[in-house]
Amino acid sequence: MSVIALTDVVKRYQTGHETVEALKDVDFRAERGEMVTIIGPSGSGKSTLLNMIGLLDTPTEGQIRLDGRDVTDFTEDELTEERRSEIGFVFQDFHLLPMLTATENVELPTMWDTSVDRHDRAVDLLHRVGLGDRLDHRPDQLSGGQRQRVAIARALINEPDILLADEPTGNLDQDTGRTILEELTRLKEDENIAIVSVTHDEQMIGYADRVVRLIDGEIQ
Amino acid sequence: MGITELLWRFPSAQMAWRNLGRNRIRTALASLGIVIGVISIASLGITGVAIQQQATSDLGSLTNEVTITSGEDSSTAGVTADQVDEVRNVASNVDVVPQYSDATTISSRNGQEENVSVIGLTQANVLYDVSAGESPERLQSGVLLTDSTANQLGIEIGDPIEYNGQMYRVRGLIESDQGFGGGGRGQLVVPESALSDRDNYDSVTIVTEDGDAATEIAAILRDHFNEETHNGEVDEELSITDYSDVQENINSFMNTLRLALLGIGSISLVVASVAILNVMLMSTIERRGEIGVLRAVGIRRGEVLRMILTEAAFLGAIGGLAGVLISLVIGLALFRVLAGDAMVVFEWESARYLVYGFLFAIGASVVSGLYPAWKAANDRPVEALRG
Ligand SMILES: Nc1ncnc2c1ncn2[C@@H]1O[C@H](COP(=O)(O)OP(=O)(O)OP(=O)(O)O)[C@@H](O)[C@H]1O
Ligand SMILES: [Mg+2]
Repeated sequence: MSVIALTDVVKRYQTGHETVEALKDVDFRAERGEMVTIIGPSGSGKSTLLNMIGLLDTPTEGQIRLDGRDVTDFTEDELTEERRSEIGFVFQDFHLLPMLTATENVELPTMWDTSVDRHDRAVDLLHRVGLGDRLDHRPDQLSGGQRQRVAIARALINEPDILLADEPTGNLDQDTGRTILEELTRLKEDENIAIVSVTHDEQMIGYADRVVRLIDGEIQ
Repeated sequence: MGITELLWRFPSAQMAWRNLGRNRIRTALASLGIVIGVISIASLGITGVAIQQQATSDLGSLTNEVTITSGEDSSTAGVTADQVDEVRNVASNVDVVPQYSDATTISSRNGQEENVSVIGLTQANVLYDVSAGESPERLQSGVLLTDSTANQLGIEIGDPIEYNGQMYRVRGLIESDQGFGGGGRGQLVVPESALSDRDNYDSVTIVTEDGDAATEIAAILRDHFNEETHNGEVDEELSITDYSDVQENINSFMNTLRLALLGIGSISLVVASVAILNVMLMSTIERRGEIGVLRAVGIRRGEVLRMILTEAAFLGAIGGLAGVLISLVIGLALFRVLAGDAMVVFEWESARYLVYGFLFAIGASVVSGLYPAWKAANDRPVEALRG
């Protein structure tokens, strides 16, 4: 069973009198252990699609199934619980909290869960992304590539089924981008998760198990 | 255990503390408003208490006294010995001290002079406390003199003072600052015999247990001596004065003053809350993307709300604590000056304003934080992340 499945998803934005159809009848699914890369021109709806997959936004029409469960009509609070337990996010500009150390940033998503101590897992994840010697560094003491690794570790702290990455290499140079992609590929297998990423980066396509091309809100 | 370690167990507190630490200057400025608000509330409240205590202690012994002088419609000048006996009959179980008054000038050996009021009476100990020597139960010989006057003139216990052509030895020095009596002038207390050429007493002082007893006795005496005539007017044989009205006036004035001071304090706290509202709103708008990330990774709305409210509460607590400490110093100084005892500030009567100030500070801050917190918590993460 697909870990995430979108069926006939339509997303319309109302701006003034105009209606923008950002996604038109999109079908999308991803499996565990698979890296799917979404490509397409600017404004084609890539981020919009990724937000649907990540349960950050709800479709105007269509259906979303997470692990076979229909989550289309979930309330914001129910969606938050799903994101908390099933999904990890990596953003283009890292979005780490500047006042927290690398370890604390990784623990952040589980911070309010006082019942479980994810400290050991946070440290372990940081070791696995090669930051074992940077545990107590703050984001401003880390390079771009190192920050993105912290972000990846953070995305995995809750043992998600899906990791979503919107242009994870967008702010990195070629070499650093490549190491990040190798990292993601390795983690995908280790953790048996689905990785869905959006990119403009040609080299990223080489790491993908599957490429989805989006043009004008339609999958080609 | 460090504060951060302790906070680690309370995620909202932990995050709030870190967030405040990010922009210390802004945090300090935001709580400065609260500091000023708390100082206004606490120190104005304490000032009210200090002024009231001072006024009451100045009035001091007077509140339990009743003073009798000759009435408007009296046929005699002064209070007669018969009238004193009658007063003693009506007001039993209290000290009734008839007295003569006069004025004189006493001079020191080196020729320095002081004007003093002269009081001729017998039961000196009822009305006068001494700082040196004695205040006799029956003053038959010798005199008492106000200690500040004695100091000025270099007169000591046992020194002679001349009054009305007679020499008296100083037996005791009266504590200065006993009530407003004497109008700042020194007092010379002499035996009744020194003024025995007078026909009648000038006044009678009655000393009772407390203010209520004084009021009661004053009323009984007025009833007794000042009969209503057939045409509805009062025939005032004796003028009877008690100080309960004065005390009441002072109390009601003080309550008004205290309310006014608290009003001023509250206004400054309102201003401080607006400052907090502004700062919290700015900082949540600035951190919009960050809060979006928190929401995206599964932090619940309630948790974001609590985090930001805790931030506001911390601002209030920081400001409140600083304000309380500064107010405490002000209070100590005030009571030192006004009441002579700085420690009075720790009595609940005045200490409660420190507590009120602190609670108000936290309350006002949390209320100010409500809207920014609610706004941040309910911002849709997609929109927040888009920026
Ligand atoms: N909140 C919104 N309100 C109105 N229109 C929107 C909104 N979000 C996206 N759109 C529109 O939907 C379309 C798809 O936007 P989207 O951000 O998904 O593109 P993208 O493929 O991610 O582009 P890029 O590569 O530049 O990031 C665009 O035309 C955009 O203007
Ligand atoms: Mg995009």
